[in-house]
Amino acid sequence: MTEQWDEADRLAALSAYDILDTQPEAVFDDIVILAARLCDTSMAVISLVDGDRQWFKARVGIDPIETERDLSFCDLTMREPGTTVVPDARLDPRFADNTFVTGEPRVRFYAGAPLRSAEGLPLGSLSVLDATARPEGLTPLQLQALEVLSRQVTTHMELRRALRERRESQERLERALAASVHVGAWEWDLIDDHFVGDERFARICDVDPDLAARGAPVSVYVQRLHPDDAPRVLAAYQTAMASGEPFEEEYRVGGDDARWVLGRGEVFAIHGGKALSFAGTVVDITARKRDEQARELLSQELSHRIKNIFAVVSALTALSARQFPEARAFAETLRTRIAALARAHEFVRPHTEASRPTVGAMTLHAFLTDLFKPYAGPDGAPQVVLSGDDAAFDDQAATSVALLFHELATNAAKYGALSVEDGQVLLTTRRQGDRFILSWEENGGPPVAGPPDRSGFGSSLAALSVEGQLGGKLERLWAAGGLRVTADLPATALSRRRAAQIVA
Amino acid sequence: VTARILIIEDEALVAMELRFVLEDLGHEVVGVAADVRSARNLVSETDVDLALVDIHLSDGPTGVDLGRELAQKWRVSVLFMTANPGMVRNEVSGAIGVLSKPVDEHAVGTAVDYALKRRSGWSGDHAPSELHLFR
Repeated sequence: MTEQWDEADRLAALSAYDILDTQPEAVFDDIVILAARLCDTSMAVISLVDGDRQWFKARVGIDPIETERDLSFCDLTMREPGTTVVPDARLDPRFADNTFVTGEPRVRFYAGAPLRSAEGLPLGSLSVLDATARPEGLTPLQLQALEVLSRQVTTHMELRRALRERRESQERLERALAASVHVGAWEWDLIDDHFVGDERFARICDVDPDLAARGAPVSVYVQRLHPDDAPRVLAAYQTAMASGEPFEEEYRVGGDDARWVLGRGEVFAIHGGKALSFAGTVVDITARKRDEQARELLSQELSHRIKNIFAVVSALTALSARQFPEARAFAETLRTRIAALARAHEFVRPHTEASRPTVGAMTLHAFLTDLFKPYAGPDGAPQVVLSGDDAAFDDQAATSVALLFHELATNAAKYGALSVEDGQVLLTTRRQGDRFILSWEENGGPPVAGPPDRSGFGSSLAALSVEGQLGGKLERLWAAGGLRVTADLPATALSRRRAAQIVA
Repeated sequence: VTARILIIEDEALVAMELRFVLEDLGHEVVGVAADVRSARNLVSETDVDLALVDIHLSDGPTGVDLGRELAQKWRVSVLFMTANPGMVRNEVSGAIGVLSKPVDEHAVGTAVDYALKRRSGWSGDHAPSELHLFR
């Protein structure tokens, strides 16, 4: 027959069973003993054909554990599709000169069933041999028995390999977990409320390792959570169980010297819409958290100093102006501008939990609301009414936005709608395609005669902020009812860093 | 109303400007302290109606505790003035509120007036907008 396999593939397949040169194993020994008994022969072998030898995994009635491949009956029989039966080797030209036939053990009768890998590659054979010729060969039952047993051999070889692979993968996992001492594993049987953790889990979460190995109701572990974090963690558990989404939370466990832990987990074994089990890992992230806290402290310190500089510059300006009464108005204007910049800085710098401004989310509207806080009517109601689309904005845009609206508001407070109690400014912000448009509309102020005779520095500052810094257009309209100002900006101008990230 | 005011501030320029502003308003500045110890010395030697307290002082972020002590132990009205109002987001018992620095003369004046009115037992309808009140 034509060989439809490659010798290199065959040798690789044989090697993958990792069986050559291993110790005898009872299951294979039993098979050769049974084969010899069933076929009534004095010898039986499980022969595996390696590159230049055949090696016997199990043998009965034969001394050598391996022979040269040239002497192998099996090398020939394994290539046949079915069982090869040689009633008298002396009469068979393939074997007559074989030293196993001409010398010890003087083989006369031979029958061999091929051993094939799962992919059909020949590995060797299960053979029975005898020193007496047997012209009648094997009975149909013996033939069938030999073939069944040969398949048993390969099945056991497969099983052996699967067990080894599982053991190796388990060992790999164990080694990996052992190497990463900061990762612990846990599993929570939701039906019985039985929570089990490995040794590393116990150490990280500071619970008794024996208790964790035996398992306990989850409440035992919940007691170990930092009281400030426990409600958040339990809520996240509930969410994960209800939604089937992965659980991921950072929290503290233990008492005074609490450790920070990253817990990850996922519900699995969902039956009839109900989660049966929840399993995952805990990672000790205490060191990382300490670093983060140190960085936060540093950032806080830095920001404090920046804000202090604003305060000092402001004080210095005021002190300097005391010497020159004619400069007081100038100094006052400068100080309010510095204050607007300080507010902008406070708003958009990277914040920590402790330094977050009291006004809420750091958006354009929140910032503008804060900026216009001083402009309130006699009843405390804001005189600048803000509406429209809100937007996130970053530190690059913040100084420009702060200066623009600071100038508009101070100007309105001097000459426009904010100079009288009944005056009002409608500030509308709206996103329009790839533009962001801010409209400032003064109402109820003194009548406007027309554009001022000369444009002041404040107007230049406003124009510079919008056109120079934000890349937009600024239009002023001196309507009779009050000043109308429109700032037409590219939508990305308010948050350029974020826009750049999205593009990237 | 003329009040005896203590300034607790470690930036000399800011303290000096504040002193001028308060004096322009007709108040008496009884002293300037840059740390907890000198603040205690001043308050134990002289009567103080109102203290303007910065959070970061030359001995660290000690202003919050100092403000609490001044209010509770020495019965001084306390206004915090800080560049980082987030530091006193939570109520400091006995203190009135917090002003964000930099702050202009007008805001200082109205906040001080408000604090002194509160001290004299008046519970006003609304506080100056620059002043974040403790509730």
